[in-house]
Amino acid sequence: MTTASEPAEQSTDEMGPLERWTHGVVNEPEKRKRLYRALFYVAAAFFLVTTLFPFYWLLVLALTPSGAITRGDWNVTVPLLGEIPFPTPQGFNVASFVEVFQQVPFHLYVFNSFVLATATTVIVLILASLAGYVFGRLEFPGRGLMMLGILAVSYFPPAAFLIPLFDAFLGNAVVVPFLGIELFEPPRLVNTPGSMIMPFSALFLPLAIFILTTFYAQIPDGLEDAARVEGTTRLGALFRVIMPLSAPGVATAAVLTFIAVYNEYFFSSIMALQNQPEQWSPLVGGILSYQTQYTTDFNLMAAASIVGVLPMLILVVVAQEKIVSGLTDGALKE
Amino acid sequence: MSTEDRTTGPARQSNRSGPVVAITRWMENLGETGFAYLLLTPVMLLLGAVALYPLLRTFELSLYQNVLSDPEFVGLENYAQLLTGTADSRFPGSTTFLPGVSTSGSFPFVHFEGLLRSALAVTIIFTVVSVFFETIIGFGQALVLDQEFRGRRWVRAAIIIPWAIPIVIQGMIFYLMFHPSAGFLTGPLSDWGIIAGSNTLNDPFSSLLIITVADIWKTTAFMALLILAGLQSIDRSLYDVAKVAGASKWQQFRYITFPLVLPALGIAILFRTIDAMRIYGLIDSVSGCTTVPSLSCMVVATFDTNRGLAAAVAFVTAGIIGIAVLGVIYQQYREGF
Repeated sequence: MTTASEPAEQSTDEMGPLERWTHGVVNEPEKRKRLYRALFYVAAAFFLVTTLFPFYWLLVLALTPSGAITRGDWNVTVPLLGEIPFPTPQGFNVASFVEVFQQVPFHLYVFNSFVLATATTVIVLILASLAGYVFGRLEFPGRGLMMLGILAVSYFPPAAFLIPLFDAFLGNAVVVPFLGIELFEPPRLVNTPGSMIMPFSALFLPLAIFILTTFYAQIPDGLEDAARVEGTTRLGALFRVIMPLSAPGVATAAVLTFIAVYNEYFFSSIMALQNQPEQWSPLVGGILSYQTQYTTDFNLMAAASIVGVLPMLILVVVAQEKIVSGLTDGALKE
Repeated sequence: MSTEDRTTGPARQSNRSGPVVAITRWMENLGETGFAYLLLTPVMLLLGAVALYPLLRTFELSLYQNVLSDPEFVGLENYAQLLTGTADSRFPGSTTFLPGVSTSGSFPFVHFEGLLRSALAVTIIFTVVSVFFETIIGFGQALVLDQEFRGRRWVRAAIIIPWAIPIVIQGMIFYLMFHPSAGFLTGPLSDWGIIAGSNTLNDPFSSLLIITVADIWKTTAFMALLILAGLQSIDRSLYDVAKVAGASKWQQFRYITFPLVLPALGIAILFRTIDAMRIYGLIDSVSGCTTVPSLSCMVVATFDTNRGLAAAVAFVTAGIIGIAVLGVIYQQYREGF
């Protein structure tokens, strides 16, 4: 962009072009502004290319027939630069998007992901609403300590919870730690939605609580009092007045929870023991089964990834305001 | 959770009787504190069952051997074995678990004598490098998004998209990009000597590099959004004052933007650090836990065969992250945020 902003006039004849340009930028605000503008567009274009290129790569792979991928000739001849490694589709093999569903019941994996994400979102919204109401609108001893405790839970790595949870989900007795008293024998939950929905709900509950606390705290007391005068119980006021009035906040918490569950890896890959769709294995299992079973079908791996990513692409484009406000509120307000 | 069906038709219940009415009346008559604790009960039960109980039980299990067949209390033996490296043989694939410093010299700064050390090194190197670059690139993205321009909404969506894609697909993208027989980047990058040309995803150094780049690609957006929120909370009139005073763009950044955005930056770094230290899924889908062992990786690799040892690793992991949290909070507190 240096050449683009070069000054046209010849006011300082003895200077070279670069020197003259630097001089112009330093002394003339108009030129400086143009430089900043150019820098800005270069930066914006750079970020666009780096974030979107991997998706382009997926598309290239999905459209290129399997044989052409392993031949691995991605070089493109560009004038002046010669041969540079830049992938372009070598073929237009749309059939791979059909084959993805034939090799592996990929639609079942995606379906499982949707069911798990929806169920978790509903549970999280109900529980977080109760907690958000309490933290946002009630004064009681231990409030700060409890919020801190909930926050601490969201810091710990899932690996620290895995072993006892896995044991319990296998149906082994739950034992009181350090006392050795057997509490009860839980049902065998591995390979069922329960073994994933429970840890998901706990993991993603804290963020939803903090978002809803902020929103519920902003509803004027008068509105809640009016509902109570009409004869509604406190819980009725929460679910019929406060929650609907905080619809943007509830939507934000819902979108973030849904994305988080859809994207989760740790419990998703462990709690369905063989990564089979009948065992409620979600998207993770579907993608990994291509990596482990069809090790050379790179075009199918790419096509499966595109199919799996589409719901999130749509969600981001539709709900980006919610995502932005939810992420920043959840982190910055507390 | 079962409480909300009791609120159906509340106004008309006053002259009826039955358990539902009795419970509703009892709830309405609770004081504010009692009501608060009542509503928090389901949340606390869930977090207690899924987080607190497992955490305590993990610590207990870490003090035992042969947990599944014949539990035997061994005190801190599992931790001792981890620290001295005698437990290494009990991790699957432990020969490749240790990126051989003596053979290839991949990591010049760290001595890999034991598995715990290599896992610690992998986790810490990954965390520090990825959070560092995410902060810098995220700051750049936030500065771009802070401007007014046509198509800003779309640029922002494009920047957020990597954040919203599933970890397994993120892993798959970079697996495909660097797989020796599919990726287009393996050839040129290995010609420059940056990554290994063959078996790229089984080479510890190359894999760690690829995983770090993949993480930077995905999570920089999170950093950018938090920094952007910090930027947008800055009072714009400060810039007008600065302009009148003749401050350059750089001076405006140096004396207004940077100090005022620092608290948000600190919180963003804190969140990302804690999150990055949990790294597991990306490693599992790009390379494998036997090549790049992170702390969480070691738990997953052993928990099926050796509960006690895995529990010890899990507890160490939780402890290290706990220390990181406390350390960063203390640092923030000292610097006066």
